[in-house]
Amino acid sequence: MRKHLLALGAVLALSPCLMAQKIGVINSMSGPEAPIGEHITNGIKLAEEDLKKKGINLQLVWEDDTGKPQISMSAMEKLATRDNVVGVVGPYTSACSNAVAKLAEKYRVPLLIPAAAKEEITRQGLKYVFRMNAPADKYASSLIDAAAALGKPKSIAFIYENTDFGTSTSKTAKEYVAKKGMQVVADEPYPKGAADYRSTLAKVKSKNPDLVFMVSYVADAILLMRQSKEVGLQPQAFLGAGAGFTTPEFAKERAISENVISCTQWTGDVNWPGAKEFEARFKAKFGKEPTYHAACAYASMMIMAETARNAGGDRTKTQQGLKAGKWNGVMGEVQFADYEGFTNQNNHQMLVQQIINGNYETVLPAKFATKKPIFPFPKWK
Amino acid sequence: MAVFLQSLISGVLIGGVYALIGIGLTLIFGVMRVINFAHGDIMMVGMYLTYLLFTLMGVDPFVSVLISFPLMFFFGGFLQKVFINRVLNAVAQNQILLTIGLGLVMSNTVMLIFTSDYKILTTSYSSSTIQVGGGVSISTPLLVSFLITAVITAALGWFLLKTDTGQAIRATAQDRDAAQLMGINVSRMSVIAFGLGAALAGTAGALISPTYYIFPQVGGTFTLKAFVITVLGGMGSVVGATLGGILIGITESMSAVYISSGWKDVVVFVLFLLVLLFKPSGLMGKSRT
Repeated sequence: MRKHLLALGAVLALSPCLMAQKIGVINSMSGPEAPIGEHITNGIKLAEEDLKKKGINLQLVWEDDTGKPQISMSAMEKLATRDNVVGVVGPYTSACSNAVAKLAEKYRVPLLIPAAAKEEITRQGLKYVFRMNAPADKYASSLIDAAAALGKPKSIAFIYENTDFGTSTSKTAKEYVAKKGMQVVADEPYPKGAADYRSTLAKVKSKNPDLVFMVSYVADAILLMRQSKEVGLQPQAFLGAGAGFTTPEFAKERAISENVISCTQWTGDVNWPGAKEFEARFKAKFGKEPTYHAACAYASMMIMAETARNAGGDRTKTQQGLKAGKWNGVMGEVQFADYEGFTNQNNHQMLVQQIINGNYETVLPAKFATKKPIFPFPKWK
Repeated sequence: MAVFLQSLISGVLIGGVYALIGIGLTLIFGVMRVINFAHGDIMMVGMYLTYLLFTLMGVDPFVSVLISFPLMFFFGGFLQKVFINRVLNAVAQNQILLTIGLGLVMSNTVMLIFTSDYKILTTSYSSSTIQVGGGVSISTPLLVSFLITAVITAALGWFLLKTDTGQAIRATAQDRDAAQLMGINVSRMSVIAFGLGAALAGTAGALISPTYYIFPQVGGTFTLKAFVITVLGGMGSVVGATLGGILIGITESMSAVYISSGWKDVVVFVLFLLVLLFKPSGLMGKSRT
């Protein structure tokens, strides 16, 4: 066995371009996160196609973590020790990524996380851990910046579900708002799945906030907007921070979702090189609109495979390559930098989108935008 | 003032739907002395029935009550005859286990068929409102469902008070053995009572679906709510359940405004505990010895 490995090593060292690059993928392909996991899988499959066209032979080792951190960790152990991969792309969820990150550092395997939001993941000084997407605090700040750029909002109301996701996102938002000198006039956590938010919304309405900032999953997002319309809550802008406000289901509810502002990592109409083509190809091949996860996964795999090839399949050199490199593609400019306590974090530009005529349109920042934002929020009909 | 009125109105309206769920549970308990922990899941089945009728055949959720009421009645009757009837004389914990088990089977079967995705019914009037002035608005679908609830409750009251079957049901609830001695077919009354309970829960599901969302595990929240309403109003009392439902609706919406949305469940349960402390048989309940 050792002889074989030695031989393999020799071949690897001699002819890096001929050898297939062995790269691991950890993803939630089954379990509750599977719908999003599917987008990541498909994004990587498209990258595989494109890499082949570029003459990079890829051998992917797929691992399903079912959304559970412990399975994710054993997948990483296997990829690092048994499959001897050059690098790993994944996992999807924050919990899994955070668990796997420390293992990547331990085994010195470059790990490129495509779409996990938890800030801490790249805040631990881990040298082998890279992240493509912007972390959670960017969601809040990019939305509030957008609203501040559009008007002169002075007060803001927070409505969010009282889970980890809701409270942590609003906490960073509240800190950011305080810095900007806006006044928080209502702070309403709600228990998920309540049938009636009308009284909460009526209370918020009586405070007459300039902005309403909401964090919810799909079903609650629709319910909250419906009931906001019912009680006639009329701020200058509704800001939906992630999850429920960025889904096609939400956009379909045109009576209540029109003109709601949300933010995302990627849109199909952004003018980053290859983004529109990516969307068209993805739709043609998989019959679905790609989510930002798909684009993140695609870009991550492209970068990882190219860097691994250039490094000749060496893990340390791949790590150095990722650290030193600079790319420009479907995710815009990518560079893994150290800043504000982050290590190897791509300082990704979040996009602000608005639902206009039932479609998500990129409205800010202006240089990436295709449509002008509608502000203030029009009177309810 | 507008905020107060707004939350009072939405509290009463949503309380009407709660009442309907509570009445079903209390009816079943009254006649059979069985606490139906599958009640919320039966309601969930009613919601999916409405969803199917709406998406496949385009039946309006409110009109679909006419179809789902009898269907759910037979479903309930079937459950009683095949399952519940066998444990009527068993110890309470076995009855509880059976109903919880039935609920699990229902929610997991639905999950297998429809997946655990949230479903939202969007009707043309889902977010329409009536302005009453003073900045207070009433949700049209919620108002309609409240009116339907009122009609159904009134009809149920008439049925229980005036018809022979209704009187037989009440007699069975009062004293099962004596009713049997008087020539009442108590096992048939049990089937009817459970059927009615299921039909009411299913109807509540249908009525709430234009304004709420549907998923397989939705039942749990409503089982708990129905249980609180029933105990609050007095186990077995239809009037008590109606009062209890509206009271819970108002408490929830008032505490969301004047305390915090996150605390509204706490307020509801504190109220519940207080009632149990000072009037253990519930608001309208008669204590049995």
